[in-house]
Amino acid sequence: MRAARAWRRVGIWLAGALLVVNGLFPALWILFTSLKTEAELTRLPITYWPQEPTLANYERAFREAPLLRYFLNSLVVAAGSTALCVAVSAMAAYALARLRLAYAGAILLALVALAMFPPATLLVSLYQIFTGLGLRNTYLGLILPHAALSLPVAVLVLYSFFKTIPRDLEAAALVDGCTRVGALRYVILPLSGPGVFTASLLAFVNSWDEFLLALTLAPAREMRTLPVGITLYQGEYLFPWPLISAALVVAMVPVALVIAVFQERIVAGLTQGALKG
Amino acid sequence: MGRPFRDLSERALAFWLLLPAFALLGLVAVYPVVKLFVTSLQDLHLAYGTQGTFVGLENYRRLLEDGRFLNALRVTLLLTLVTVPGAALVGLGLALLANLPFTLKWPVRLGLLLPWAMPLVFAGLIFRWFFESDYGIVNDILRRLGLSPLYWLTDPNLAFWAISATIVWKTSSFVALVLLAGLQTIPREYYEAAQVDGAAPGQIFFRITLPLLLPSLLVALIFRTITALQTFDIPFAMTGGGPGTATETLAMYIRTQSVENLNFGYGSALAVALFVLCMAVTVVYLRYLERSEEA
Repeated sequence: MRAARAWRRVGIWLAGALLVVNGLFPALWILFTSLKTEAELTRLPITYWPQEPTLANYERAFREAPLLRYFLNSLVVAAGSTALCVAVSAMAAYALARLRLAYAGAILLALVALAMFPPATLLVSLYQIFTGLGLRNTYLGLILPHAALSLPVAVLVLYSFFKTIPRDLEAAALVDGCTRVGALRYVILPLSGPGVFTASLLAFVNSWDEFLLALTLAPAREMRTLPVGITLYQGEYLFPWPLISAALVVAMVPVALVIAVFQERIVAGLTQGALKG
Repeated sequence: MGRPFRDLSERALAFWLLLPAFALLGLVAVYPVVKLFVTSLQDLHLAYGTQGTFVGLENYRRLLEDGRFLNALRVTLLLTLVTVPGAALVGLGLALLANLPFTLKWPVRLGLLLPWAMPLVFAGLIFRWFFESDYGIVNDILRRLGLSPLYWLTDPNLAFWAISATIVWKTSSFVALVLLAGLQTIPREYYEAAQVDGAAPGQIFFRITLPLLLPSLLVALIFRTITALQTFDIPFAMTGGGPGTATETLAMYIRTQSVENLNFGYGSALAVALFVLCMAVTVVYLRYLERSEEA
């Protein structure tokens, strides 16, 4: 019995190790790569641990390419689209979850369906429309489509969240002479923090990661987001890996920190957003 | 709150609350799709002028004769056929492992979340470096095993499999997260009862776990299929569609024709083809969502 239990513990440890290695090895490998000199990177046989660790690639990444600018662009676009997406989604989700509305279910499905139109097909028209409106290579030109991109997840997360707030709270406010809008303002809004936060996290990561629309609608060098800027290093350098690896680490650290801190929120939101309210 | 809103009826309030969401979608989804269908019936090539001329279904007729379109369609469907079941199997494995009683849960969860949270192109770049012919770790391992290194990204067949492996790695963590949530809703009593009755582990898996996991698995599969049909980022970062057009997907070809060649008429017809393909799968998802909403 004791031997069986010991084996079970070994098995669990092995399973944990496998999961951690599978998830983290690629990121760790790129971290090691970023700490090696170009001479070490082009030496055979290849080294695993950095032999002469150096931060020179990071210095190069910030000096030779506008990495800081890419970072700021990503931040502005992600923050802007998250704010827009969550505000718009919260209003819609509240109406659908709490107001007496004919066809609420159909409207919810319509919202989700429209927002799931494939970006790869939208880009053909968006390119023409945004060129006409002067929105290409602007922040607003990315904020608008990115906000729409996260709308289904945000609406579904907030919809199921609003459903969990007891109706009696609102009813009490209405009885006390509060208007509908007042009940929304003073009862629902103060309680919606957790739902709004989860939706914001997901919308932020979605925008931070988006590539195809950013590549198409904001390709100008000074307007590129991190994924676009870093991916296009490939065409600009003969051996881009010192630069790419350092830039990838810089780009991944903020997101890694966010998910490390808010793991449970993200997991809960992801499943709510994909499954049902 | 402003005075005009004070006495809004519930219907009117709902209207104003829903308006911004539909306005946003109108601008970046509905209008573009309408324009897409209209433009697909035109000959509109920005290199030759900005006025489109109506040509009926000419662009669609051209689709059927366009070898590059048929190849892109083939690559897209093959990638979908390989990576959706691949990610489902790997994701199921990861979820079952992650559901074990770990004393330390956060490293395991981070291992599932990090691949999910990184941009697809980053996964593509990292795996491109893995598969690099001279200095990549994959060929290094082959050499250490006494095998000859392979040209992963310049051989058409190997490139397809390298891309597929990358997509499976990147997307299986999302599947695993959805399935893990599903696993955690299965009541513990079911397993205890099965054990009391002396059920074998295989029986427990196929008779209890898998059937109860089916709804989550279905959602994950539909989501993965919709995104797989739109595959762009990972092949773009790993091969740029090459060698030649061997790994070019529909989404990549659409972008090349429209944004690079400025052939918006034909590019729109290509996009309509992908749109129809994706929406067919989306309808299945919405049906499911609707049904679970009623349940």
